[in-house]
Amino acid sequence: MKILIAVGSKEYSGPTLSAGMKVARAFNASTTIVDVGEKVNEFSTKVVGLAQERMESWDFDRPGVDVLEWAFEYLAGKKFIERTDIEAGFPKNTLVDTGGSRSEVYLKGTVCEDVNLILRNGEIISELRDEVQNHGYDVTIIGGSGKRRMAHDLVQYIDSSIFVVNKYDPDQLYRILLAVDDSPGTPKAVKYGVRVAQAFGIGVDLLTVSKQDHFGGGYKNAADHAAKLMRRSGIEAKNVFEVGDPAQTIVEVAEENNIIIMGASTRSPIKKFFIGSKPLDVMENCRCPILIVK
Amino acid sequence: MLGFSHRSLTNFLFWVTQKKWFLITMAVGFFLLLLPNPHGLSIEGYRTLIIVITALMLIVTEPIPLPGIAMYILVSEVYFGIGSANTIAKSFMNDAVFFIMGSLMLAVAIVKQGWDTRIALGIIKLTGHKTRNIVFGFTAISAILASFIGEHTVAAIMVPIGMALIHFTSEDRKKVQKLSAVLLFSIAYGALVGSIGTPSGGGRNVIMMGYLRDSNLSISYLEWMLRVYPLVLIQIPIVSWVLMKNFVPEFSHLDSGVRKLVVQVAKSAEMTGRNTVAAFIFLLVFLGWILFSESIGLGTIALTGVLFYLVAGFVKWEDLSRNTHWGVIILFGATISLGSNIKATGAAIWLANSIVEFLGPFIHSMPFIADTLVAIMTTTMANVLSSSATVAVLGPITLNIGNDTLHMGLVTAIASAFGYFTVVAAPACTIVYSSGMVKAKDFLKAGWQLGLISIFLLVLYANTYWLFFN
Repeated sequence: MKILIAVGSKEYSGPTLSAGMKVARAFNASTTIVDVGEKVNEFSTKVVGLAQERMESWDFDRPGVDVLEWAFEYLAGKKFIERTDIEAGFPKNTLVDTGGSRSEVYLKGTVCEDVNLILRNGEIISELRDEVQNHGYDVTIIGGSGKRRMAHDLVQYIDSSIFVVNKYDPDQLYRILLAVDDSPGTPKAVKYGVRVAQAFGIGVDLLTVSKQDHFGGGYKNAADHAAKLMRRSGIEAKNVFEVGDPAQTIVEVAEENNIIIMGASTRSPIKKFFIGSKPLDVMENCRCPILIVK
Repeated sequence: MLGFSHRSLTNFLFWVTQKKWFLITMAVGFFLLLLPNPHGLSIEGYRTLIIVITALMLIVTEPIPLPGIAMYILVSEVYFGIGSANTIAKSFMNDAVFFIMGSLMLAVAIVKQGWDTRIALGIIKLTGHKTRNIVFGFTAISAILASFIGEHTVAAIMVPIGMALIHFTSEDRKKVQKLSAVLLFSIAYGALVGSIGTPSGGGRNVIMMGYLRDSNLSISYLEWMLRVYPLVLIQIPIVSWVLMKNFVPEFSHLDSGVRKLVVQVAKSAEMTGRNTVAAFIFLLVFLGWILFSESIGLGTIALTGVLFYLVAGFVKWEDLSRNTHWGVIILFGATISLGSNIKATGAAIWLANSIVEFLGPFIHSMPFIADTLVAIMTTTMANVLSSSATVAVLGPITLNIGNDTLHMGLVTAIASAFGYFTVVAAPACTIVYSSGMVKAKDFLKAGWQLGLISIFLLVLYANTYWLFFN
């Protein structure tokens, strides 16, 4: 399992990193923390590089290195990396340029396999898409504040599950709201739900929403199967059945102390582009973290 | 759908979102092509204007790399019958393109010499510890250096000095936010106001000199300085005053910062013979520009300087090649080609006449109205585009407005340096922004005031001081 955590600044990315590392620990995943710096106007890329080279000769870091240093300190503080790495301090001298405005530092992890810190520059969706495509991540974790469009595009274009850490409070006691139906995406979402519930030590509400007054066999089977899996895994879970528009109902039922987990839409990309999808609707309107499983 | 997998459809949709401005631009171009050409404008002239509009849209929105835009201009000019393949190829290269190439390479050679530590010491010796004086010193030194070696080179040298002073004053960024803004903007804006001072201050000046030469008007390096340099000197105190008013620094004296900076500089290597020779080579280039630019061209002299640096072994070709943006050079070649075709197809005169018609009889009775219009137009375009591309495209048009071609040419070249409002206006602004110490909105804060002051000063200056030259 490989997880990518996208951070943007020391001021706002604390909750994203905190939630991201909890998920990484849950899956014992190889984890990469990436900061994508702003795209430099193409007219000036070379001369900006020249100026930054001079700044490095004065011992000033280029923008973004401070964010990685902050992430390193967080990892060191929580002992997510090995003691030898912590004692050596942030290894900015080993920030290796791996080409295509991408630099990387490798650290040996403790609770997860390893932790890489990466610096990229460019248009954020393009850079994250490139990172996921070339390095095969299973889950991409991003912050939710003020960047709904970004989350929307990531869900649409990135070939990994997406965890949007929207309004996440590390001190809050959360409960998972797992959307269950007869769609092909549900079994994988349930598996992820089990792992996250175990990692966070929290309970699960299995929400099944039907547009009609009655619940078909496929819905009931999916809900029963999910409940059984939860019980076997020792997770406290309860089934909730609601009638209404699925996306709207999920948003209404979800509270701020919920983490929504749902499968990705299996609609055609063209339909998703023009009409949208249930996960996209929920993500755009909910007021809590959401994991869309692909 | 039609056998396409979800993945390939997703890839296609992603391409559409990434390239939406390219598709919109092409749709606009196609729509304009369907319209009949305006009265009095040849079909070639109209098509050239369509290429100008679409190329400008592409430069501003950057949906494809800059060299791609250059190729778009090249192939469109040939396909639309604006010129034969050979004519278009020839219009891509002239002394101005050589100058831009030489200037970008000289920047690498000069920045690599590490003169920043010595310049830092020099500024501090001149200004002392008072923040107000240091800001004035930064503005003045940036302006004077930029007037000879170009604003991009100066920003690359000076920004690390500014950053050092800020960092040594306080490592807590929140405590030095305004000091950061005032020092870094004094470098960027100082370099911008200085870049008008001599032809070698910026590629745009050389592009304009080329257009003037095409109109059988020659202006020498010294004559340019004589006409324009006083405006540089007038603007230096104004820039530092406006900046100090808008970003009142947290510290009135930078005692501790200056002390630490001096200690840091003292640690750097002594001036060597190599440094002296490197400075001497630049002095030769400068003398060449003054004495021979009219006969052999500024570009050739700049490239001679680069050749000297290479022969002396002061810079490696690998460094020059890695740090020179060849795509930008190709794009400037393309915009210059576009500029010459705006003129050759009669589009320039048609546009200029339309502007003159719009202004009516005022243009002759009150010439400052035309100056103001050209200055506003050029400043606006330079802030969203790039100063050199602005002059390349606007130059042939503005030269045909009013009776005095040289006057209008200089007004256009000078106004293209008023790129104070945006991060993308000039490399100096982008370098300052990329330091991470100032925000994009900070550019507008003092920028709009400086923009207005500069336009007012330029119009006043051009209609008073230049009268002595007539």
